[in-house]
Amino acid sequence: KIDARKEKPPFNFNAYVVEKANFVNKALDDAVSVKNPPMIHEAMRYSLLAGGKRVRPMLCIAACEVVGGHQSAAMPAACAVEMIHTMSLIHDDLPCMDNDDLRRGKPTNHKVFGEDVAVLAGDSLLAFAFEFIATATSGVAPNRVLAAVGELAKAIGTEGLVAGQVVDLSCTGNNSNVGLDTLEFIHIHKTAALLEASVVLGAILGGGTDEQVEKLRTFARKIGLLFQVVDDILDVTKSSEELGKTAGKDLETDKTTYPKLLGLEKAREFAEKLNEEAKLQLADFDRDKRAPLVALADYIAHRQN
Amino acid sequence: ATSISPRFDLKTYWTDLIKEIDQKLDEAIPVQYPNQIYEAMRYSVLAKGAKRAPPVMCVAACELFGGNRLAAFPTACALEMVHAASLIHDDLPCMDDDPSRRGKPSNHTIFGVDMAILAGDALFPLGFRHIVSHTPTDLVPETRLLRVIAEIARAVGSTGMAAGQFIDLEGGPNAVDFVQEKKFGEMGQCSAVCGGLLAGASDDEIQRLRNYGRAVGVLYQVVDDILEAKTETEENKKKGKSYVSLYGVDKAMEVAEDLRSQAKKELDALEKYGEKVLPLYSFVDYAADRGFSFAAPV
Repeated sequence: KIDARKEKPPFNFNAYVVEKANFVNKALDDAVSVKNPPMIHEAMRYSLLAGGKRVRPMLCIAACEVVGGHQSAAMPAACAVEMIHTMSLIHDDLPCMDNDDLRRGKPTNHKVFGEDVAVLAGDSLLAFAFEFIATATSGVAPNRVLAAVGELAKAIGTEGLVAGQVVDLSCTGNNSNVGLDTLEFIHIHKTAALLEASVVLGAILGGGTDEQVEKLRTFARKIGLLFQVVDDILDVTKSSEELGKTAGKDLETDKTTYPKLLGLEKAREFAEKLNEEAKLQLADFDRDKRAPLVALADYIAHRQN
Repeated sequence: ATSISPRFDLKTYWTDLIKEIDQKLDEAIPVQYPNQIYEAMRYSVLAKGAKRAPPVMCVAACELFGGNRLAAFPTACALEMVHAASLIHDDLPCMDDDPSRRGKPSNHTIFGVDMAILAGDALFPLGFRHIVSHTPTDLVPETRLLRVIAEIARAVGSTGMAAGQFIDLEGGPNAVDFVQEKKFGEMGQCSAVCGGLLAGASDDEIQRLRNYGRAVGVLYQVVDDILEAKTETEENKKKGKSYVSLYGVDKAMEVAEDLRSQAKKELDALEKYGEKVLPLYSFVDYAADRGFSFAAPV
């Protein structure tokens, strides 16, 4: 009855998250210091160091480690994806876009620094993400760093974040024609593209083979869509206080969401299905090394804010 | 220094490059779904009559060190993309609030403020992506491309053009010098340096190009301001911080002469490259004298 094999201690996700978040926060703090002119850099730091969950950097590091790389190889890329994520939030919150006053429980960037500085702080974070990957990555072959730069660039522009925001804006207040195809287009571009890039950058910089990179890309696409489905569910089931951002906003602006299109129960089932499909992609990787990615997928599926 | 420009036909060199750059930029931004963002990007990047000074300087610097211009084209296009992105954002109502640019309505006037912000946000990464996907790696080693990407990112970022725009809006000590150097010197500097990096120039040569490009970038703008001041009426007086608005035309012309000799002095240190230095040399005189005009766009 008793298993004679020596059991490894089970993977401790909470300890992993705390360790990696500290590592990333320290690296971000060091990467963006206050230079001249101070206010732009303070605005960059205000949003970058506002205590996000660091899901993207963690995915980047976990993907680097699952292919056998050391986290230091992925550190600048992990910071860069968080800079890009922050930059897109700053610009999306602007009055001419989603017009949000609250983000991560704090006033949005333009509320504190003004719209002009918010635009420039976003532009600066965008540029610095590329500078940082190109100059701070060490111990990785230059062709891999360059491939990472290309992947990151693709995730931001008209095949990524920007495309998602464009279609999202064109749908707001005009919801009668928004079907599942359009909804998926928005989320694949607005959310999944950068999550995909986070994972793919980590896999490339960690020394993954082409086949491994593509497996992890599929994994990331699934959890990217999952992330948004869960976000939509949380928007209708949680309060602003619990979320740290304005809740119920999707209903108020009559936005098309998964709960609205599918109903809450079907949306939850869809989320579970995506999570299972995502984890299937990890089957060929070492059981211990894949544990963080499995746990991150479960976390994205079951998070409460 | 005596002008040696007559020995080199800059106009033909430049006009040929404009054609090639325009064609490559056109191909780099095909319209697809969602169309409006591509159209907004194309509107600013492919504006008719654009002189493409940053790409020309980049190609000329690359060729100075024996580099193949095919190695420089993707970076040259990227310079135009990130430059357009900066200008689109500078014109926004919350920034300079400029309804027009190069004699046409500015981007947000046509496409809306939201689309203008997003067009800029898309053009920055497109520039980097274009370099990665289009530069022939048999002509340029990856390490050089990483330096080019870092150089462009630094130039448009929080200590470069974004800093210049911020001080232009908010003011500060020595604001005019800072704004001229950051808003206009950075682009010239970055263009020349990228050309040199692509061709494998030495660190000392890169420093020369840095100083040269910065001087020419500021010179170009100071002369623009002088020419505009001479023709403008009271109601269309330029806002913002220029040497002309602060010191008047005469002092601005002195500044321009200083910049011209500074730029040429940097090139004197590269004289071992012989005739290959002529494009960059005559570029200085063009920036100062505007000795020819370009054919009207078709």
